[in-house]
Amino acid sequence: MDIETVKERAAPRAFSPKDDMPEEYRKAATRMIQFHANSEIMGAYLERPFIRQAPSLDRKLAFSAKVQDEIGHGQLLYRAAESLGIKTREEMLEELATGDGKFLNCFHYPMEEWVETPMIGFFVDGAAMRRQATLKRSSWEPYAHAMDKVCFEEGFHVKHGEDILRELATGSRAERERLQEAFETWWPRIIQFFGPTDDKSTHHDFASEVGLKQLSNDELRNAFLNAYIPKAEKYGLEIPEEPRIRKRDDGTYRVVEDDLDWDEFFTVAKNDYEGSHVQIGKRHDTQEAVEWVRTVLDEHEQTSMGTAPAAAD
Amino acid sequence: MIWEVFRQEKPGGYHTHCGNVHAPDAEMAKLFAEVQHGRRKPTNSLWVVPQPEIAEVDAEDTTFGGTTDKSYRWAMTYTGVDASFAEEVAESQREQETADREREEVTAGGNS
Repeated sequence: MDIETVKERAAPRAFSPKDDMPEEYRKAATRMIQFHANSEIMGAYLERPFIRQAPSLDRKLAFSAKVQDEIGHGQLLYRAAESLGIKTREEMLEELATGDGKFLNCFHYPMEEWVETPMIGFFVDGAAMRRQATLKRSSWEPYAHAMDKVCFEEGFHVKHGEDILRELATGSRAERERLQEAFETWWPRIIQFFGPTDDKSTHHDFASEVGLKQLSNDELRNAFLNAYIPKAEKYGLEIPEEPRIRKRDDGTYRVVEDDLDWDEFFTVAKNDYEGSHVQIGKRHDTQEAVEWVRTVLDEHEQTSMGTAPAAAD
Repeated sequence: MIWEVFRQEKPGGYHTHCGNVHAPDAEMAKLFAEVQHGRRKPTNSLWVVPQPEIAEVDAEDTTFGGTTDKSYRWAMTYTGVDASFAEEVAESQREQETADREREEVTAGGNS
């Protein structure tokens, strides 16, 4: 299939591994899905310490279930990416370990305090879910199918995140103050979750023309702000003065882009931020520590080949 | 040999199990599947899979979802917050409610 045909036929779930897709499509889809898969894994690593640090048994169980879900989403997405025939799952995991694999900006920053957990668990997950819901209509069928399952599970994550936020926001004055501080630290990163404005976005046009993505950065950021600014206000959080956010007459928002630190954003995007090295290093060390498990499984798969079908991932 | 048949109704949809056929090889299995399962119901694609290649774990082998209270992993547990502010969160919760209800129905049916 040539690119023009792809653009003509682009529709929700229109293309599957049976179709002979041009390399340009397969590369663009791989880049997008690999980024998404990497982000699921790196997000899980950021939240994992809070299984231990959770203040109650209920929170501990919920955090443990959530981290497990996110790793599962990563696996689903590597499968969807692998089905494009550009990179194997092993290659993508290797790239994540060496620091070549890219992932979401928010997961390049340390998260140390319990009071920060709703910044990821509610705002970042909420932003991600807004985006993921639109990707159910992606033109790459395996990606859209993965989104069905991811979105099914994510409702728990977002509500659990909001529940922690609600608890902290109705807590002691000290808790509320620390919550506000955490919010001020995370807010600009959360706004940057959706990337630069449409006119500065490098990959949008093609991904949109071939139906891989449905909404632009600006549309998604706007949809996020519409639902989540009222939530922040409901819990008594003050929206930081910068970045300036202006409400237009039609009810949509305009973010003053120059108020955001784009040098930092693009450093993060290249995995070159201080936190990038820390987060990638943490995952790398954990991977090394459990290398023996993969070795044993690989050996087992080799020896049982021919007598039994290969186990599903 | 027996081949299990999975039918996809529309492009982009899921292949769901719809029956099986007897056939000596994959070519014949596809033909029989087409005739037996793809003729009347809307069909965009069929998968035929050799039955011996399918591994199964069922409710006699395990307790799906565990035996302890795992309500913490359902959206509807968090009643102090409301899902309706974002359609995708509300939709996820509806899907979870449906799954939970169906799960209970199956469990109740299994015990009767």
